[in-house]
Amino acid sequence: MLYSKFLKMHIQTSMQYRFNTIFIGLTQAIINIGEVLSVYILFSQFKSVQGYGFYECLLMMGIIYTVFATAECFARGYDEFHKLIKSGEFDRMLIRPVNIHYQILGSKIELTKLTRVILGIILVIIALIHLNITWNILKILVLISTFICGFLIITGLFIISATISIFTIEQFEFVNIFTNGAKEIAYYPINIYAKWMTRIFTYIIPVACFNYLPLSYLLEIGNIPMWLCAISPLLGMLFIIPCIIIFNLCLKKYKSTGT
Amino acid sequence: MNKSYFGIFKMEFKGELQYRSKAISGMLTQLFWGLLQIYLYTAFLNETPVDGFSISQMATYIWLGQAFYVMRYITVPKEIGTSIVNGNVSYNFVRPLDLYNNWFCENLGQKIASTLLRFPLIIILALFLPGNLRMYGPVSVTALLLTILGVILGTCISVAISMFTVYITFKTLSEKGASGIVSTISGLLGGMIIPLPLMPQSLQNVINYLPFRFISDLPFRIYIGNVGISEGLIFLSIGLAWLIVLIILGKLLLKSALKKTVIQGG
Repeated sequence: MLYSKFLKMHIQTSMQYRFNTIFIGLTQAIINIGEVLSVYILFSQFKSVQGYGFYECLLMMGIIYTVFATAECFARGYDEFHKLIKSGEFDRMLIRPVNIHYQILGSKIELTKLTRVILGIILVIIALIHLNITWNILKILVLISTFICGFLIITGLFIISATISIFTIEQFEFVNIFTNGAKEIAYYPINIYAKWMTRIFTYIIPVACFNYLPLSYLLEIGNIPMWLCAISPLLGMLFIIPCIIIFNLCLKKYKSTGT
Repeated sequence: MNKSYFGIFKMEFKGELQYRSKAISGMLTQLFWGLLQIYLYTAFLNETPVDGFSISQMATYIWLGQAFYVMRYITVPKEIGTSIVNGNVSYNFVRPLDLYNNWFCENLGQKIASTLLRFPLIIILALFLPGNLRMYGPVSVTALLLTILGVILGTCISVAISMFTVYITFKTLSEKGASGIVSTISGLLGGMIIPLPLMPQSLQNVINYLPFRFISDLPFRIYIGNVGISEGLIFLSIGLAWLIVLIILGKLLLKSALKKTVIQGG
């Protein structure tokens, strides 16, 4: 399969600079550990916020780290799409007889992000040990679909950011509001923010679907109907469909930079 | 000699002013982050109030942080990092300028220019926000003057700490890694990730004397009245002492790194 060849190629390139890959990978994890530490310090001063304690937030951080880093690792091509346009590499992709999304996905696989994936999974495990959750098959399914939903939503956001750079070529800093904003907002229960912010990150960018809502189901708290919380990750997954459609529509307007 | 450093400073300053659209987009981002953090800490402070750090003081602290974001942010200075990795740095070795001073001015120029470009608008917007979101004025004129002094000192300390990332880049040839580690440490201990007044007192007693809090935490706390005038003066002199130590240490480290640098021709 073509993708496995891409993957092999990226593994080989990063292994050429082994020290650099490992060093960057570790620092990526250190940045996140710094954030976890700050949340820990915050909760040692304030015991809880809206009924959420440290381990509930740790679970949310673990989930968002895992899905965000997975998306950054495998969907990096969209995240750095402006570079593809600038270098003219994208023009070359357009004339190849392979699906364009397939090529963008294969153009960059950022293996240094894997340390964050591992860290995220460790955090989730630590949090789950400390939280009293009575498990059943449905809950396990919800947890798994939460991860898939998160990955798809973050990838969707990267696709939107790539779509914007079709027109702007440069990557604008405010796109960060949606990608990194979605990440930061997912550390804490989403209803502590202002109504308008909660609404944006529930209905427009459905961050709540892999964060607050499924967690309400797992922990059996909150006053949102449980069945809705349980299927929320499935609804969140749909987010990526309009993202791809918009990208494809805007692609028709693409003008080469001439590089 | 001093003239050439001023020239470097001026050049970087003008360069930064070119990127206006970038600055506007950055400002929107800053506004969003400011709001996000204020909502977050309001939720915490509503459940457990903290003495000497009310919600309006917290909002002011956050807005100052957003307005002076560039000045607080520790990173490997753009071109210096790339020049070390691709080897162009060797040109600097033959120039008759002290490398540390040269880079210090370059970095300071960049920081001051982008701060001047960004901070007035953010502050004006923040002053007119509704309710608990708005920023308040300084507690007194003396506090304001001390804050300005503190911000100048803080910018210099921020640049001096950034110079350590340059050293790590020399050692590891990885600018991302270097700025990642140093900015995480200084972010956590400097109140950039969470405001220091929200931390437990026992932890604050230690952090208050480390160099990182002098970057921005101290001037902001003088501004909101969390740190008094006389206490502020004592801390400012501690900060000044740290600046001198950091610069001397930075110069020594850079010298040792340069001794071991091998230029591979080309």
